[in-house]
Amino acid sequence: MPETTRELRLGICGPVGTGKSSLIMLLCARLGDELEIGVVTNDIYTDEDARMIRAAGVLDPSRIVAVETGACPHTAIRDDITANLLAVEDLVAARGPLDVVLVESGGDNLTATFSPALVDAQIFVIDVAGGGDVARKGGPGIERADLLVVNKTDLAPYVGVDVDEMRADAVAARDGRPVVALSRHDPHSVAVLLEWVRSQVARHRSGRLVPVDPGPMAPHFHAVENGHFHAGENGHFHAGENGHSHDDHAHAH
Amino acid sequence: MTAVALLLADARLPVAGHTQSGGLEPALAAGLDDVPAYLALRLATVTRTESATAVVTLAHLRRGEGLDAVYDAWAARTVSAAMRDTSRELGRGLLRLATTLWDLPPLLTGLPRPMVLGAVAHATGVPSADLAEVIGYDDLQTVASAALKLRPLDPAVATSWVVAALPQLATLVAEVAHLDAPTDIPATSSPWIEQLAEDHAVTTRRLFRA
Repeated sequence: MPETTRELRLGICGPVGTGKSSLIMLLCARLGDELEIGVVTNDIYTDEDARMIRAAGVLDPSRIVAVETGACPHTAIRDDITANLLAVEDLVAARGPLDVVLVESGGDNLTATFSPALVDAQIFVIDVAGGGDVARKGGPGIERADLLVVNKTDLAPYVGVDVDEMRADAVAARDGRPVVALSRHDPHSVAVLLEWVRSQVARHRSGRLVPVDPGPMAPHFHAVENGHFHAGENGHFHAGENGHSHDDHAHAH
Repeated sequence: MTAVALLLADARLPVAGHTQSGGLEPALAAGLDDVPAYLALRLATVTRTESATAVVTLAHLRRGEGLDAVYDAWAARTVSAAMRDTSRELGRGLLRLATTLWDLPPLLTGLPRPMVLGAVAHATGVPSADLAEVIGYDDLQTVASAALKLRPLDPAVATSWVVAALPQLATLVAEVAHLDAPTDIPATSSPWIEQLAEDHAVTTRRLFRA
């Protein structure tokens, strides 16, 4: 496939309060020296997330823009991506060229995922405080997003969740797709996350990254998709970066 | 009504319609209580100007004439800079979709939504009356559906507001469908709606873009 010069568009999705904005601030703080990053937030009621990220001082404030979703955060990333596409294009036109645009969804529910027409890859974020059974319950993002982050593992002892069990549930639900059990206080888990993002940028630049839709709730959708996934160019990914990620996170805790 | 006109009036058309409240969000925040009266006010003022702009755009394109004078007439009659920005933003989203679907005239970049709709109508054979009706109907539904997000309401009540406004919409259509020159576009502005649009554009607490 041809190499691409357009920025990688990376979606960050997941229920409200799971740490999407914090994850973005972490990526900006840790990758800002090596990658040109822009951020588009989809807030529910304010530009709170955009302001919080600006205030964190991890990125030039003019590289952070907010999209209003008219109380329809799921629509804005899936059924009608117009406002987000225009925001990404405007951001790149004003501040580009960029390497990565992080698109944060408005905190919604477990069924919301990005359209592959909006993002090239997506991270789905859940957290231990949301309940140890969330990963087992599954859903399109948990099962088939490009990366699942089980966040705030440092809080597990306080909310009575067994991180190893929750991660095992997630791994089982994802049929080999990568999982990072993340705590920003755990440097190794952060390193695994950063390496995954770098690998996506590299795959995107080389033209090997093809957006994979987590899709709607469909029990056997992944089985069909997966055959294609392994047989095609992504086989390389599984043998390479993905395996690496798994090895890493196995040692993360 | 033509099928393309129905498509253009359908809220499921992916052109960022869900981000809009037709100015209702700031109006409610400013103390508006009577939403049906607000619908009537819009039909009599800003929506009337929009519908007429679309119809005149269509007339110009049918005659093979340029659109600069139409744009200038629209801008002069849309006093609020925030409302012009919103309309151009919506026009851009619509143009983005429409260029993947139909052969549109070139050089439509930067035009407001009613002018892009006029160009779509030209490319798809939508009659002037349908075009005017789509704009008016869409405005009614935009406000009514936003009201459901902003106020505790039975959805049937919001729909009843739209139905009650349909006779006024029919009158609007009859009044603008035959217009064909930029000077015909009515300068029916609403300073109250315009001021609210300006205020809303700079607030940090809002559900809707406009």
